[in-house]
Amino acid sequence: MGEVKKHETPLMDDLKSGPWPSFVDDIYNYAEKKKKQACFDIMGQMELSYKNRETHWKHGGIVGVFGYGGGVIGRYSDQQEMFPSIWAFHTVRVNQPAAKWYHSSALRKLCDMWDHRGSGIVNFHGSTGDIILLGTVTEQLEYIFYDLGHQLKMDLGGSGSNLRTPECCMGMSRCEWSCIDTQDIIYELTMAFQDELHRPAFPYKFKIKVSGCPNDCVAAIARSDFSVIGTWRDKIKIDQDAVRAYVGGELKPNAGAHSDRDWGPFDIKKEVIDLCPTKCMFWDEGQKKLYINDAECNRCMHCINVMPEALWPGDDRGAVILMGAKAPILDGAQLSTVIIPFMKLEPPYDNLKNLLYKVWDYWMEHGKNRERLGETIQRIGLNRFIVDVLGLKPLPQHVKEPRSNPYIFWKEEEVEGGWTRDVAEFRKRHPA
Amino acid sequence: MDKEALKQKIMEVFQKKAGGAGKSKIYLKDLQREIPDANPRDIKNAANELVKEGKLEYFSTGSTVMYGLPGVGMGLEAGMEKPEE
Repeated sequence: MGEVKKHETPLMDDLKSGPWPSFVDDIYNYAEKKKKQACFDIMGQMELSYKNRETHWKHGGIVGVFGYGGGVIGRYSDQQEMFPSIWAFHTVRVNQPAAKWYHSSALRKLCDMWDHRGSGIVNFHGSTGDIILLGTVTEQLEYIFYDLGHQLKMDLGGSGSNLRTPECCMGMSRCEWSCIDTQDIIYELTMAFQDELHRPAFPYKFKIKVSGCPNDCVAAIARSDFSVIGTWRDKIKIDQDAVRAYVGGELKPNAGAHSDRDWGPFDIKKEVIDLCPTKCMFWDEGQKKLYINDAECNRCMHCINVMPEALWPGDDRGAVILMGAKAPILDGAQLSTVIIPFMKLEPPYDNLKNLLYKVWDYWMEHGKNRERLGETIQRIGLNRFIVDVLGLKPLPQHVKEPRSNPYIFWKEEEVEGGWTRDVAEFRKRHPA
Repeated sequence: MDKEALKQKIMEVFQKKAGGAGKSKIYLKDLQREIPDANPRDIKNAANELVKEGKLEYFSTGSTVMYGLPGVGMGLEAGMEKPEE
């Protein structure tokens, strides 16, 4: 192997001085151990970008593997003479297993493969959720694709105007609160929508994320066009003995998560009852009993998080379906909005798939170029989307609070007498 | 419209767009607008099959994807070829 050339990188080196482990150290250690010029060059280019305060990646240009419209993102340096070994530095997105459970041997194989065919730099995980393999050249792409598919049994993830790699929280694999089997749902959807994942189908990107409970550990409500969040529709289960144990100090609140310093004795009124957003809880000091008015509960999970041994989500479990979250391009960032307040989710999840098809059919036809689903909903109006597009009935759960966002409009045929009825005559009979 | 006729139609749209001062790369949405009497999903499937057959190619920035005719306009790595040593 020829000589490798290290660039002068004072600004990058400065990053090593902070309190946290630095990627600069990691990359240099690896580069020196493996004599990888690409790693030195990437640091050199980054130094230059820091100095000039502008990117030195060229825009756009497709690279890909045969038959797939996504999964590989082309990157080319505009400083090809200075950094020849990163003239092409493509990113490969690899579909992560549901909830990101790996066998260590799979990770070892993946790293060996990337050591051989790429820069060796990886990112576990990108904000897309995928495994990100950073830095390879066009000639290696088909080999990488073959190795991933045939040896590691892994697939490329989504990029471009495709369905992006669906993502979920750890769900039932580790969490007792999970109301739905998030991993199974993600696996089912990934297998069912292979075509949408790998071949461009939409006006723009489309993301599906599934969280098992309203704690929403994958932030589905903020990051996905189609958010599925586990919930329940019966009562929160209460173990009154355990509640008393929390109040008596025998059990640690938040399962001991905040025990690194002394917060004083647990105060159920201050830490649970008063923090309930809908004020639906009551602690009877005399009887030593906790009451919850479940009809008012909005599933914020706070009380369950604080007293996990005393309270659990109810038994009638399913999911709430929300749509339309996005990061800012048009109109700023927005959260998903509730479309279906409760849906039972059982394999093979046909109800969920059919809903997705309905949404896609409309969005594919009426969405504009580079318009996210949330923007389409805003453009046509939430009422039209719910009633005309999805054929659903407006529900109280669609409204944030009465009279603040009254987007439910009546149609003429639904109003007795239509638009032309005699209002004066009507008011004679209904004076208020 | 059967699949072969649809593919034919898609190729016609591309040839028309690429000829003269037209665009060499278009969005799937534009393609669907040009062929209003076919289902958007069928157009997507047909266009993706054409890519598999090598008659069309994808052009992507990583965030969104366009379709183009191979060899027309900016190529796969146009302007990005490694400089000759």
